[in-house]
Amino acid sequence: MLRNASRLHACLNGSTSPIASTGCLQEGLVAVRHQATQAATPPKDAKPQKTKFGPLKDQDRIFTNLYGRHDWKLKGAMARGDWYKTKEILLKGHEWILSEVKKSGLRGRGGAGFPSGMKWSFMNKPSDGRPKYLVVNADEGEPGTCKDREIMRHDPHKLVEGCLIAGRAMHARAAYIYIRGEFYNEAVNLQIAVNEAYKAGLIGENACGSGYDFDVFVFRGAGAYICGEETALIESLEGKQGKPRLKPPFPADIGVFGCPTTVANVETVAVAPAICRRGGDWFHSFGRERNSGTKLFCISGHVNTPVTVEEEMSIPLKELIERHAGGVIGGWDNLLGIIPGGSSVPVLPKSICETVLMDFDALQAVQSGLGTAAIIVMNKQADIIKCIARLSEFYKHESCGQCTPCREGCGWLNKIMWRFVEGNARPEEIDMIWELSKQIEGHTICALGDAAAWPVQGLIRHFRPVIEERMAQFAAKNKKTASEKKGTDRVAIAQ
Amino acid sequence: MFHPGGVHGARHIAQSLHHVKNAIRGTCSSKLLMQQKAAAAVAVESKKGTVTPPPTGPAPTAPAAPNSVEVYIDDKMVMVEPGTTVLQAAALAGVEIPRFCYHDRLSIAGNCRMCLVEVEKSVKPVASCAMPVMKGMRVKTNSPMTRKAREGVMEFLLMNHPLDCPICDQGGECDLQDQSMMFGSDRSRFTDIKFDGKRAVEDKNIGPLIKTIMNRCIHCTRCIRFGSEVAGVDDLGTTGRGNEMQVGTYVEKLFASELSGNVIDLCPVGALTSKPYAFTYRPWELRKHESVDVMDGLGSAILVNSRGGEIIRILPRVHEGINEEWISDKTRFVYDGLKRQRLTQPMLKNSQGLLEPVDWEDALSGIAARINRVPGQEMAALVGGLCDVEALTALKDLMNRLGCETLCTEESFPMNAAGTDLRSNYLLNTKITGVEEADLVLLIGTNIRFEAPVLNARIRKAYLHNNLRIASIGERVDLRYETDFLGDSVHVLAQLADGDHKYSEILSKAKKPMIIVGSSSLQHGDGTAVLANAIVLADSLRSKMSSNGDESDWKVLNVLHRHANQVGALDLGYKAGPSAIKQMQPKVLFMMGADDGVVQRRDLAGDAFVIYQGHHGDKGAEMADAVLPGAAYTEKYATYVNTEGRAQRGNVAVTPPGMAREDWKILRALSEFVRGSSVLPYDSLDEVRKRLAEIAPHLTRYGQVEDANYFRQSKDLVWNAARPGHSGQTLPAQQRELEDFYMTNTISRASRTMAKCVTAARHQKSTRYGL
Amino acid sequence: MSRLASSSSSLVSRVAGSGLTREVKPLVSTSKREARQRVLNLYRSWYRQMPYIMMDYYVPVSVADCRKRLKEVFAANRHLTDIRAIDMLVIKGQMELRETIEVWKQKTHFMMYFRDTVKQKPSEGFLSKFLDGKS
Repeated sequence: MLRNASRLHACLNGSTSPIASTGCLQEGLVAVRHQATQAATPPKDAKPQKTKFGPLKDQDRIFTNLYGRHDWKLKGAMARGDWYKTKEILLKGHEWILSEVKKSGLRGRGGAGFPSGMKWSFMNKPSDGRPKYLVVNADEGEPGTCKDREIMRHDPHKLVEGCLIAGRAMHARAAYIYIRGEFYNEAVNLQIAVNEAYKAGLIGENACGSGYDFDVFVFRGAGAYICGEETALIESLEGKQGKPRLKPPFPADIGVFGCPTTVANVETVAVAPAICRRGGDWFHSFGRERNSGTKLFCISGHVNTPVTVEEEMSIPLKELIERHAGGVIGGWDNLLGIIPGGSSVPVLPKSICETVLMDFDALQAVQSGLGTAAIIVMNKQADIIKCIARLSEFYKHESCGQCTPCREGCGWLNKIMWRFVEGNARPEEIDMIWELSKQIEGHTICALGDAAAWPVQGLIRHFRPVIEERMAQFAAKNKKTASEKKGTDRVAIAQ
Repeated sequence: MFHPGGVHGARHIAQSLHHVKNAIRGTCSSKLLMQQKAAAAVAVESKKGTVTPPPTGPAPTAPAAPNSVEVYIDDKMVMVEPGTTVLQAAALAGVEIPRFCYHDRLSIAGNCRMCLVEVEKSVKPVASCAMPVMKGMRVKTNSPMTRKAREGVMEFLLMNHPLDCPICDQGGECDLQDQSMMFGSDRSRFTDIKFDGKRAVEDKNIGPLIKTIMNRCIHCTRCIRFGSEVAGVDDLGTTGRGNEMQVGTYVEKLFASELSGNVIDLCPVGALTSKPYAFTYRPWELRKHESVDVMDGLGSAILVNSRGGEIIRILPRVHEGINEEWISDKTRFVYDGLKRQRLTQPMLKNSQGLLEPVDWEDALSGIAARINRVPGQEMAALVGGLCDVEALTALKDLMNRLGCETLCTEESFPMNAAGTDLRSNYLLNTKITGVEEADLVLLIGTNIRFEAPVLNARIRKAYLHNNLRIASIGERVDLRYETDFLGDSVHVLAQLADGDHKYSEILSKAKKPMIIVGSSSLQHGDGTAVLANAIVLADSLRSKMSSNGDESDWKVLNVLHRHANQVGALDLGYKAGPSAIKQMQPKVLFMMGADDGVVQRRDLAGDAFVIYQGHHGDKGAEMADAVLPGAAYTEKYATYVNTEGRAQRGNVAVTPPGMAREDWKILRALSEFVRGSSVLPYDSLDEVRKRLAEIAPHLTRYGQVEDANYFRQSKDLVWNAARPGHSGQTLPAQQRELEDFYMTNTISRASRTMAKCVTAARHQKSTRYGL
Repeated sequence: MSRLASSSSSLVSRVAGSGLTREVKPLVSTSKREARQRVLNLYRSWYRQMPYIMMDYYVPVSVADCRKRLKEVFAANRHLTDIRAIDMLVIKGQMELRETIEVWKQKTHFMMYFRDTVKQKPSEGFLSKFLDGKS
């Protein structure tokens, strides 16, 4: 969820500036919260509301080689329609590409869900002589998420072509694909695809014969979660420690190597060619208003067949799991809770999972988020406290240590969470940890602090009785052992 | 519509790829910072007029500077330049926002989060140190949200901060302590102390000056930013991530900077403290005396802390014209040299030829007896670089009354053509602040990094932020920034002066060039040629500037002196260099603070009587027949003239040890004993200064720089005389490496701390990491 | 000592002024020669005693200084001719010597002999303050 960046918040938050923030997850969500309330009253002249979402028809799938059943190289990709008339798309100019993307209602697929068309258009200021860059965030590190890697290893040409088209839309000179260090095979495939594209004249000088020069570089990261935050990614790309930058200035002003930069998620970039080819309206026809398009959902956890699948936005969560993941292990009634959007969004209890739709606004309305659409299912055999404690440990481990609330707070949350797992705590501490998580949330440079706070908040919001019960058990057990111990002590004294 | 802050930032990242290089993070934000500072300065000027009560009425009546925006800090309106940060705007409104990582002179890190404030219409609090103001922004610095945010950050900081204030040297001047009193919660919720305890971090050994207690570190990164931005030494950095993040040097090594001590002041907590000061006193127990540093030619502003007649530590004072707020390690840590090797009693040589302590009367009458036997023409005086103006005046008056006209400084200066007759020949004419305006600096025969560390820091600042270009002639040294190395001898300079060097074109294109000649290069065999060629080159650059329509009175030529009061001595009419003394072979030599050993016994008449007056037993006292114990710079009211020609006053912090006396008083007392009517006509400091005002009025206009401007005449004199030839030898740097920096004068040679620094620097050089 | 000396000298002058030789009862000595012998004896005693006196008193003067001073004190009265006056001074001198040797005197009393040898320091002005370390 940290993956990508939202500018939405600052945009909505009034007079200040429309460009504002990139990258802040929390900002994004807050902003979407805004939107959700607005969405509650649809305009009068709206066309009849679509009420049924999914399943996606095969002809509407964008990622047709998601499972690697076909050739992923250039030949196969071209057979699937990639690189088809790319030159013509490029020649239509950046205005046209932007308008199609805007029309499509595409929102960033990295987690924050900032409207891509708007974000890309920020780059279209008159040039001051500095080159512009597109940076593709392929540092897919969010636990539970496995969509970008599927694209990169099985459909890399979608990404490469997407780079070219998105780059054209924002006048970028080059694209840097920052790929997670652990994705060795993916990086290899991607590099091969880039090489093929160069060889075929699709990118490089005079890309596709359009007269436009565009380079694509693949850059392997070193495996830090925080490097998925856009400014940390830029730092890392520049060869420094991956620590988020302060914003402003935003990457659109000063990004990689000091030049205007847009950071976009792999999936966002990879769907751009399809949008251009099939039209923004086609893409817009999927999903609810403001949440249009198709989306890769990664379903993992206690389901019978974990899967990454492309589906229509706004598909009900339950249907998604039942249809594609073979249902929850032990049946739907055995469901305990679901984390709907990658590790950093709050968990949802079964009651909400019954009805909730999988899109930005609907999940926002139930105080969670779509994030990267990585659905982590937990059935009743799971120890929910331990699950969340493990996530806290993850965030503690991945905190960059730059700013205070996250550096100190994540460690503290982790300490308390593991005591909660045992039950070795007092019930007041539940309120304290809630407050602590609020002290982290929104006070940090990047969104990692928020991401660390939310799982804990979700747990307390929906599973407080479980924690309290655990504490009571622990207290009872300890009291017993304490009294036993006391007893033996007394015996010892007697002797 | 774009983000004002962003546009602003972008504007300052200039046009070309060249800037791409510079547009790394630190540079960007500090560029922003500099602009903001300028803005703040402007705002300060018009501050009184623009701070108005809450905007209840219509439009503000205050005259607004063009293009400034109004911001409301707690409903109080201030007009500031766009690009000012919220924190600076709040400062203008008189609201101090707590901060740890933010520092005026460093780039913005924004990582402590202590400066979070609520801004209306923003959902979450913003970091005021980094957020540029926007039109009509309403900032609430004391709202519940702001207070809550601060309290939260404070709680997190204290979570892993050891509560060892009673044994912490920062106690009493600790930002964390103060701010937790002001903004923190009154109790701790950190119950986990019962389970795990706090974070423990190994202390780092980064040299003999800075003590590290890394448990206390709050990771504000001020020290790191100081190292990489100001000092230009990337020794410090962070390793590890998250809670395991540590500030340190990665491998154990020296923090090899001549400015390293400043991180002690910068550290907001007790993680970096002064090793020599450790466990001595609390800051409130110390008496503070404003004074002037004498360790180099800059005359940095210092604050001498004393207690019980002893100097406990030396801190910098802010002086925008000289040292900003930095001082070199020598300035900061030399004070233990003031307690060792001191001359505390007058001494006379007895019949066995051994120096024997005597009382003042005997000493003075004994000296007078010898002086009275010798005619004035056979006497001479030699002064060192640490002598103050008052003492120099008294000495000159006394010697002149005795008929002696040979008064020399230890430091020499080329005396051909105008020599030291024209003041502009030996001053740092563009002033230290000129570096910030200049676009090209040519360094000749100076290792400015060690000869004037604070000036070097300013050059580095201009190099980073103003794209200042630096060229150098002379021995190649590491200045911690890139220089265009032109050559190592005066030969290159002669070529430049004649305009037939490939660099001449670049030089002539410079809008505001500066030539800085190191005084050591002028004492070299080719010194005469260095000065003559520098004068010619400077003049040609000046005429080029004026032909380009530059009306500003930009002076190109600068001389950088290494000694605190060399300029003062020259201003008073002392001859530069001991050559006159060597020629005349005087029978009586009065040495005041002359410890560089430039005059030896063999340069004098066989039975010459040598009087040494000074504060340390060093080379001068060693060869003397009579020793008069004087006061060091912290022990007297004294005036020093720095290399710019700026007269500054130092104050008494402690009394001179033993029977030592202020220098001008010793001379005044001696004048009563010597022959004739030589009694000096002043009994008090005010009277001395009155006399000073008669002979050199600019030396009593304290704090001001007296300009000198006879470049044309100087150049004509050079032209009229034959251009001196040169041998073409390398112009050597006197202080090549860090180890050479620490011991340069009699005080620093007596300092144990400085000796430790030399050892540490040598050791560091011998390790495989090097310096 | 000096008071005695002045009274005796007035006595002599009175005698001399009358133009008569008046028989007076001698104190001890009957002849000038005898008086001279007594003076020399006293001088010698002091002179020989000096090193031992120095042992008894911790004073900032050397034996040589004391002997020099001794000579000065005796020489100061060398103009006396009145035998009674000389005798009286000798008697006083012996008393002084005894008091010194027996350490009935203290350091300050002893140093009183040197009172007039100390050169007067300037009592005001720059130099006085300088030498007193007050400036």
